[in-house]
Amino acid sequence: MRLNIVVCIKQVPHPEHFHEIKLDPESQTINRRGIPAILNPPDKHALEEALQLKERYGGTITAVSMGPPEASQIMEEAYALGVDRSILLCDPLFAGADTLATARALAIGIQRLGEVDLILCGTHSMDGATGQVGPQLAEILGFPFIGFVRKMEIQERGTVLAERTIERGYLKVEGSLPLVLSVTKEINTPRLPTVIGIMEATQKEIYTWDTKELGIDPALVGIEGSPTRVSGIFERRLSRKGELLQGDPEEVIRKAIKRLRELEALR
Amino acid sequence: MDFNLTREQEMLRNMVREFAEKDLAPKALELDNKGEFPADVIKKMCELGLGGTLGKKEYGGSAMGHLASILSVEEISRVYPPAGFCLEGIHSAIALIQNAGTEEQKKNLLPRLIKGEKIPCVGVTEATGGSDPSVMQTVARPEGDEFVIDGRKVWITLAPVADIICFLATVDGKATAFYVEDGTPGFEKGHRADQVGLKSVPIGEFAFTGCRIPRSNMIGKEGGGLPAALTVFSTVARPNVAAIALGVAEGAYEVALKYCKERKLYGAPIANLQAIQFSLADMSTEIEAARWLCYYGVWKADQGKSVREVAVDTARAKVFATEVAIKTCVRATQLMGGYGLSPEYEVIRRLQDALELFPAAGTSEIMRVTIGRSITR
Amino acid sequence: MSSKNEIWIWAEQRQERIEPSSIELIEKGKELAELLSSSLAAVYIGGSGERIEELFEYGVPKVYLLHHPELVLYQGGPYSILFSRLVAKYQPQVILMSTTYLGLELAPRVAALTGAGLTAHCVDLFVERHKDGHILVQVVPGWGGNLMVKIVCPERRPQMATVKAGIFEKPQRRPGASGEVVSNPVRLDELDWRVKAIELIEEEEDRSLEEADVIVCGGWGVKGAGVMDDLQKLAETLKGAVAGTRPLVDAGLIAENQMIGISGKTVNPRLFISLGASGASHFTTGFLKSKVIFSIDQNPNAQIFEVSDLGIVGDLKKVLPVLVDELERYMQSRG
Repeated sequence: MRLNIVVCIKQVPHPEHFHEIKLDPESQTINRRGIPAILNPPDKHALEEALQLKERYGGTITAVSMGPPEASQIMEEAYALGVDRSILLCDPLFAGADTLATARALAIGIQRLGEVDLILCGTHSMDGATGQVGPQLAEILGFPFIGFVRKMEIQERGTVLAERTIERGYLKVEGSLPLVLSVTKEINTPRLPTVIGIMEATQKEIYTWDTKELGIDPALVGIEGSPTRVSGIFERRLSRKGELLQGDPEEVIRKAIKRLRELEALR
Repeated sequence: MDFNLTREQEMLRNMVREFAEKDLAPKALELDNKGEFPADVIKKMCELGLGGTLGKKEYGGSAMGHLASILSVEEISRVYPPAGFCLEGIHSAIALIQNAGTEEQKKNLLPRLIKGEKIPCVGVTEATGGSDPSVMQTVARPEGDEFVIDGRKVWITLAPVADIICFLATVDGKATAFYVEDGTPGFEKGHRADQVGLKSVPIGEFAFTGCRIPRSNMIGKEGGGLPAALTVFSTVARPNVAAIALGVAEGAYEVALKYCKERKLYGAPIANLQAIQFSLADMSTEIEAARWLCYYGVWKADQGKSVREVAVDTARAKVFATEVAIKTCVRATQLMGGYGLSPEYEVIRRLQDALELFPAAGTSEIMRVTIGRSITR
Repeated sequence: MSSKNEIWIWAEQRQERIEPSSIELIEKGKELAELLSSSLAAVYIGGSGERIEELFEYGVPKVYLLHHPELVLYQGGPYSILFSRLVAKYQPQVILMSTTYLGLELAPRVAALTGAGLTAHCVDLFVERHKDGHILVQVVPGWGGNLMVKIVCPERRPQMATVKAGIFEKPQRRPGASGEVVSNPVRLDELDWRVKAIELIEEEEDRSLEEADVIVCGGWGVKGAGVMDDLQKLAETLKGAVAGTRPLVDAGLIAENQMIGISGKTVNPRLFISLGASGASHFTTGFLKSKVIFSIDQNPNAQIFEVSDLGIVGDLKKVLPVLVDELERYMQSRG
């Protein structure tokens, strides 16, 4: 049973550098220049799951991303890990997209790929952190969706049996292909690319499609196609400074407990 | 002049950095405390292809080249220098066999070494001195289609765990390269050295007593041992050790820098104090100088320059980088005050590791001899 | 009052019991309803709806009820379609769901089906004037919590938001209160069953941080001073939950699901005690809404004190044991 798998990936600023992202209060825009970018860590679990499924069942893996030209780096990394095709949906008209507009662009790109059995996504991206693109992509494509999958199995008759995480447990879920899944980090340990994988990756072509090539109506994507807009950004000031005690532990603790009672913190 | 790494080299560096930070960093203190050979780590490194950056593709390598191979050693050593040191031993043996060996030897040995299925070592140093190979006392006496080996080697990296032991022995007074497989009668592994640093790298001795090996175990020409060994030292072993030193210095510097940015005295981080900044500035400058010396020598090797040309630059890289590593680690421990002397905070262990790098692949004095002779010729 | 332009919340249920995180949406929902000259309603999809009075007791005036035995477990396709059909029929102007594992799936699916704008992980919601009416403003933390982003849906309706669990207060409960039930029929054959949930399996979890009244949270300093035992004793004494920052997870002293902060949990207990954590913003953002924040650290300039109602500067090794002793005595004296 060969599986044609699509994995949605995204390039995000390196989380360790988030605090360097500065706000220009005048233009109300954020400056991301010079911040190193990486392959979104949750997406690595989706790629790994696809690679394991391909190793088991055969088939093809296509990595798809909507991003700026710099995102070609992660498309290359996807090749280094072993995907068969890397496709970057790239066009200035995609900029400013919220999750719905992003899902639309991805859907149109994926529809060009022919028969797809399984679409895998990470649970969220480290920058936007909404986790909305996967489920919205499924609805737009008309595919069923299973979210937060921590374990999955393809059964003989071509159905998926999954453990769908919920608080304090999971739901046992069964679904028929084709479908869209978001996978959690519990599902696997992502592999690193090997040296040979890296050597071969730079020789492979990254397919770059813009709105013309995809035949998309610009009104459906980018900022125009986004129902939500950013209306403002502000820096957060922390302020709650209360009393600071110092000195002999016994004395200090006694004062502290008295204060906690006053604040109604102790019952 | 393009100082940029190629995209492949960049991706390699990122991959090794991620491996080092995810797989090595959490275990580093524990591995050092145990002092055991990290066989799992070495196996994982080889599975990722880090053992085969110099190996040709037909033997399972990637032939990425010398710069790629030291980038991986540098990144590993930033986090866990003993693994970098083991990688150096593997690179050197693979280079020796690939440069000088017969096709049959290469086919037989290289794939297994590159995959990490067998561990190699290269033994030159003897009790009478490593810096002076002319007084080598290990002898290989030809007898029909065999050689009979007698002698002893000391301070050999990886010897206690090696499966394939490459070594030099004299045939008619001329040093010749051979290999022996562990378990061969007459070959015995001896005492494992007790080290102050690089604790989990097994370093030890081995001895031959009437050990018989087939003629086909000779690597290269009879009497061709020294040139073969010198090529490996100049193009692989020294630059690898220099890269380890660079990684050690970088690791110690990064820990100290982070500490100085967080540690507050007089109401502000000590990194704001000029005296501290001067110290950090010097460390940073020396590390960058070491870096470019390291990269330059192996870049020349990748460009196909002669061994003699490459040898001077790798000698410079080795002597400079190892001395920078010591200085950087000492400064780092001083910047961190009490924490600098606690093993949990790393820098003191880095200093111990750096000290072990002095005699490796040739002492600083020998490096200066190499450089001095070349410039005054 | 007309059913159009209501403020809706999704009353998530598990085995017909309403999830506390959904109850947290009620106060805010009512506040928004008032500001938007509208009223609040809850949407309940479940097996029987036998316990929806709980919603009335917490102050919800109206419940849209969809029930069928096949819907007792969350079924993604059917729930999304049923919810979206309700939206088309009754045209709410705002829909709030909680950031539970299920809410984070249902909200985007309904948004896609209805073309609504959806903002995730809101930490605040308020109303602003817009054109000749009002608009909902959704506030989310961005980029590690240092920046706050305001998001609006200028055109599309409804305006949807998932609200971070643990942010808002649970309202007072008034037993015996009642409300309006609007039942809508469920026809199974009209629903999408390509994916079906077969079984709910519950698993042991440590005292849930989101529901704890008291949380004792350790940072790097706890690891360094080796006082994890004292920390646990303190939690026991106050009948609270144990939590920590990333260094404690890495050191194996707490589990990943006990981590607080931007990449961990957000909590708002009555009392949050921080021990040996310097107070970087990616950590503090996880507990800023706690009623009372009490911190102990050896560094008088630690950022944590800027967000604490009460702080002690001292060596954890010396201070903690005394704190535990005194609190034990205090708790005993209260009986």
